[in-house]
Amino acid sequence: MIITEKKDRAKLLETVKDYKSFFLLGCSECATLCGTGGEPELKEMKELLEANGKTVTGTFVAKTGCQVLGTKVELKGHKEALEATDCIIVMSCGAGTQSAVEIFPQIAVYPANNSAFLGNMTRLQMFDERCSLCGDCILDQTGGICPVTACPKGILNGPCGGTNDGNCEISPDIKCAWVRIYERMGKLGKTVEFKEMVLEPKRWSASIKPRRVNAREEKK
Amino acid sequence: MSFRETLESGKFVVTAEVGPPKGTDIKQMTHDMELLKGKVDALNVTDNQSAVMRICSIAGCKLLVEHGIEPILQMTCRDRNRIGLQSDLLGAYVLGIKNVLCMTGDHVLAGDHKDAKPVYDLESVQLLKTVDGLNHGRDLAGNEMQGATDFYFGAVVTPEANPLEPQLAKFHKKIKAGAKFFQTQAIYDIEKFKGFMQVAREYPVKVLAGLVILKSVGMANFLNKNVPGIRVPQEFIDELKAAGKEKALETGMDIAARHIRQLKEENICDGVHIMAIGMEDKVPVIMQKAGLL
Repeated sequence: MIITEKKDRAKLLETVKDYKSFFLLGCSECATLCGTGGEPELKEMKELLEANGKTVTGTFVAKTGCQVLGTKVELKGHKEALEATDCIIVMSCGAGTQSAVEIFPQIAVYPANNSAFLGNMTRLQMFDERCSLCGDCILDQTGGICPVTACPKGILNGPCGGTNDGNCEISPDIKCAWVRIYERMGKLGKTVEFKEMVLEPKRWSASIKPRRVNAREEKK
Repeated sequence: MSFRETLESGKFVVTAEVGPPKGTDIKQMTHDMELLKGKVDALNVTDNQSAVMRICSIAGCKLLVEHGIEPILQMTCRDRNRIGLQSDLLGAYVLGIKNVLCMTGDHVLAGDHKDAKPVYDLESVQLLKTVDGLNHGRDLAGNEMQGATDFYFGAVVTPEANPLEPQLAKFHKKIKAGAKFFQTQAIYDIEKFKGFMQVAREYPVKVLAGLVILKSVGMANFLNKNVPGIRVPQEFIDELKAAGKEKALETGMDIAARHIRQLKEENICDGVHIMAIGMEDKVPVIMQKAGLL
């Protein structure tokens, strides 16, 4: 899921100081799990805005805020509240914010969160980054552990000289990705493969922005 | 004889290194270069070492060439993508720089520009393969070039890495990628180093043992605590302690000289790489103590 963190509230209030009436849009998926854009956070934001002399014309937690058409349909029931607002605050990720921008070209839209990374939830509201969405997956060759993401240098052919008792040179809290890959491949009986494989430089052309996928074409 | 010829001839070689300054005042670096001229077989020029921004290693190497000293260009993958790396390699070659040491490079977080974007488009193994390609007249994209390089290229290895096995696998990959020589991270435990050399001797590569001069008990403890892959055994810390503060550096130099003698006499490796870290004037003294001058 997309991991989001709340932007500094004082700064957010400063950014939207010229607007008077707000509509708050959350998301029931990632942002709800991150505690940044579910019902409780929308309520908290509503109270904060009202305490600062603003009006909140409506709030809504979209089912999937990054789904543009679905969100547009869902918001039809909030027509009046949206017509009365001069600013939408989106409390999901950058994708959700830009869904709102697309749906409401005439209304100002501001993000309440910073989008951090694609993460795995390891425990309640604890997230690890494990995939960088590089567009050229090599997990098949690295024992299922992504060095592009798990190694701060993202290097592809074994540990650097900074391995420190199995940990990363930049922090003892990070286990060396290549030591993890070595151990994992060892368990799978692939120690020789680990030693012999030399991965080619990554195909970064696979992640040139903006990326677009048309899954319909593939079904033809 | 060139560094390559000397090393390949089987003679015991000595390399040291100079770190370019931050800023344009090169008096100290020029002084160090002149001091080491004619004494060491080649001088490494570090590449923004510890990710601290300084004069680039190519300019440092070019200054060495102008002073009649053979340089080893240290090249890290931290600051340039594959286009920048290859372009700099070609540029270095036409400036008369013939030796390259390929490394991944300390993370930007270790240095003085912590908000810089770390590049690592390639890493050490891929950089070695890239140099090998340039030597064969083709770039990383497979394009034929007008004029190939003829670099003598090597890499680094950490014999005391923990865990050692993945590090040895990387050593193996670096050799597969074409590395001809290795300069190791600092070693102090010669018996353990012999164990590493047993593995290294299976390969057709030259190995220069890395030596860092101990100047105090504090420095030894600092290395043990803060530098991954360096382990100063307690016996040397005790030796430095017994020598007292004033004689500590002398003792550190004696330890280094002893190690050089042993490495050479017992034919353990092919040479040494002395990292003086700001005490370049001590390199000739150590070489003298070791009977090399």
